[in-house]
Amino acid sequence: MFDLKLIAQAVIKGNEKELSEIVQRALAEGVSPKQVLSDGLLCGMDVVGERMESEEMFIPEVLMSAKAMGTALKTLMPLLAEQDAAAFGKVIIGTVKGDLHDIGKNLVGMMLESAGFEVINLGVDISPEKFVAEIKNHNPDLVCISALLTTTMPVMKKIVEAIQQSGLRDKVKVMVGGAPVNQKFATDIHADGYAPDAGSAVKLARAVLQ
Amino acid sequence: MTSMGLAGIQYRPLSESQVKKIHEAALIILEKTGFTYESGLDDTLDMLEKAGAVLDRDLARIRFPAELIAEQIAKAPERVILYGRKEKNDLDLTEHRVHLGTGGAAIRILDLETGEARGTTLKDLYDLGRLVDKLDNIHFFLRPCIPRDIPESEYDINVYYTCMKATAKHVMSGVNDVEAFYRVLDLAAMVAGSMEALVAKPFISMITCFAISPLKLCTQSTLIMRECAKTRIPVALSCAPMAGSTSPITMAGTLAQMHAEQLVGITICQLTNPGAPLLYGGIPGMANLKNMGYLGGAAECGIMNAAAHQLANHIRVPNYNSSGLTDSKLPDAQAGWEKGLTSLLAAMGGSNFVHHAAGMLESMLAVAYEQFVIDDEIIGMCCKVLDGIDSDEEHLALEVIDQVGPGSSYMTSEHTMRHMHSEYFEGNGVTDRKSRVKWEKDGSRDAWMRAREIVRGILQSAETPYISAAQDKAIREKYNILL
Repeated sequence: MFDLKLIAQAVIKGNEKELSEIVQRALAEGVSPKQVLSDGLLCGMDVVGERMESEEMFIPEVLMSAKAMGTALKTLMPLLAEQDAAAFGKVIIGTVKGDLHDIGKNLVGMMLESAGFEVINLGVDISPEKFVAEIKNHNPDLVCISALLTTTMPVMKKIVEAIQQSGLRDKVKVMVGGAPVNQKFATDIHADGYAPDAGSAVKLARAVLQ
Repeated sequence: MTSMGLAGIQYRPLSESQVKKIHEAALIILEKTGFTYESGLDDTLDMLEKAGAVLDRDLARIRFPAELIAEQIAKAPERVILYGRKEKNDLDLTEHRVHLGTGGAAIRILDLETGEARGTTLKDLYDLGRLVDKLDNIHFFLRPCIPRDIPESEYDINVYYTCMKATAKHVMSGVNDVEAFYRVLDLAAMVAGSMEALVAKPFISMITCFAISPLKLCTQSTLIMRECAKTRIPVALSCAPMAGSTSPITMAGTLAQMHAEQLVGITICQLTNPGAPLLYGGIPGMANLKNMGYLGGAAECGIMNAAAHQLANHIRVPNYNSSGLTDSKLPDAQAGWEKGLTSLLAAMGGSNFVHHAAGMLESMLAVAYEQFVIDDEIIGMCCKVLDGIDSDEEHLALEVIDQVGPGSSYMTSEHTMRHMHSEYFEGNGVTDRKSRVKWEKDGSRDAWMRAREIVRGILQSAETPYISAAQDKAIREKYNILL
């Protein structure tokens, strides 16, 4: 019986090569792709997410885990049944117009990706109109908006309003984040959620899409 | 004793050969790796190309030959005077003369009544300016917080107006675009009496974050920086690489990249207007690798900021850097040790214009009224260290030693009377040196609470408006002043 903990441990260690080998071994020993994913990879990534959230782990180490996870997912995705692969959801993410900061936003994108979500990263300086156009284009389940500056925070409100006005608000959930943002602001602008860091963003994404 | 402009450089984290090595590394970075840019800088690019920079417009890359850099940095003035509106507040920035003051763009403040963190307002900015005006060891007033209660479009004019009204100390801030720069210039000229008077003795200056680390020109800020150079308004060329995220994790690598960024900023300014006054604005920082925020209070920040002055001094340009940040959320022991250490290192490093040195908490995100009082004390002590030990005949005191003689005491000697208020740092009253009995009788208060009382005393005293009623009227007729 293959010990799925080995997979989780390799994810936490962030060793890309080792993880790929272990995943291959598990598959060869007859573990189902779905089990490798949910009881191995995602368990490991949950621990990484929690350690990130509690600020115990260095972010570059988190990124190594996410990278290893991404490679393993690439191997695994084609083997998963279609409904299992699509179950995670599709996300578009971007930094608002007037704001060029993207370190935090990219972290959230990577963490979501490594948790199995399909992530479309729009980049920085994204206008409300562009967000709406990209929603129409990609048909995502979740829209993640980021701002670092107090001066660009109001654009988040405009984006939520633009999505509302375009009639797409019922089709997508909206999450907001960034240093000056808090839960009250998220509630005030009618977003579906706020996450203070990339680790909790993954949990929140799962929760709002439930 | 004035704590302003004393000579530092007792602390040199880099040896002379290390300074040269980092300078040369920066030149290699600029020749080999180069800079990138965003759209909207055509004029600047043409100017650089004409001067000898190598442009790859397809890949948005500028590479700088070492000769171009050397030629341009030589034109930057070695001495920049940032004026106050009282002569005693003039900042003579040159060599290793040290000045420390406020800075930052905090979005939260600890409420003076409740101690709870809330959003910063224009009134806070005004009251902080009034407070700093009365704290002698804070040498200038760089706007420490953002007025979150007014529309963004009104920020620039209102921030400069509010700072100039609150204090006679030198005022530094930033603007959002070139139009706002000229509006602020006009506002300051109204206060000065004329544009000529302002340019002759600029009591305001600008910060432009022209470089987005690593190695990228920010269009808007580069344009503002060039207007400063054209009008000869002193400008701090801010770039703040964070080791581990926007610069290499190593200190030497961070300094080399930062120095390269500075050399480009200086080159652009001097090509725009030779001799334009500027401050080398490298602020080496560190990423908090556990959440990617800014690490403020690290000892390494103190080391690197002292090194930044050495690099600026190597090319004979006065520098703007940072100390006194803390990652603590309140004025506690951690805030004390982080501030004390980084400010002392920056001061002993000879830094010319050290911002962030008063008031900041929570890395760069918050300020507290009380913290300005505590930091005034810390800065005063740091400057006292620079002042060193006088050992002339009078201070060596052989005469009084002989006069008092063995076995007696110095308590009532003339010599003691002459020196007791100048030889030792006296402070603003926030440091507790009372007996336990007296301290308990006064309510057993900690530094935070003692500072609060000093703040209240200053803010409750009569206001000194540094903009006259007539000027105020004219300004309010022209601009939308919200204070």
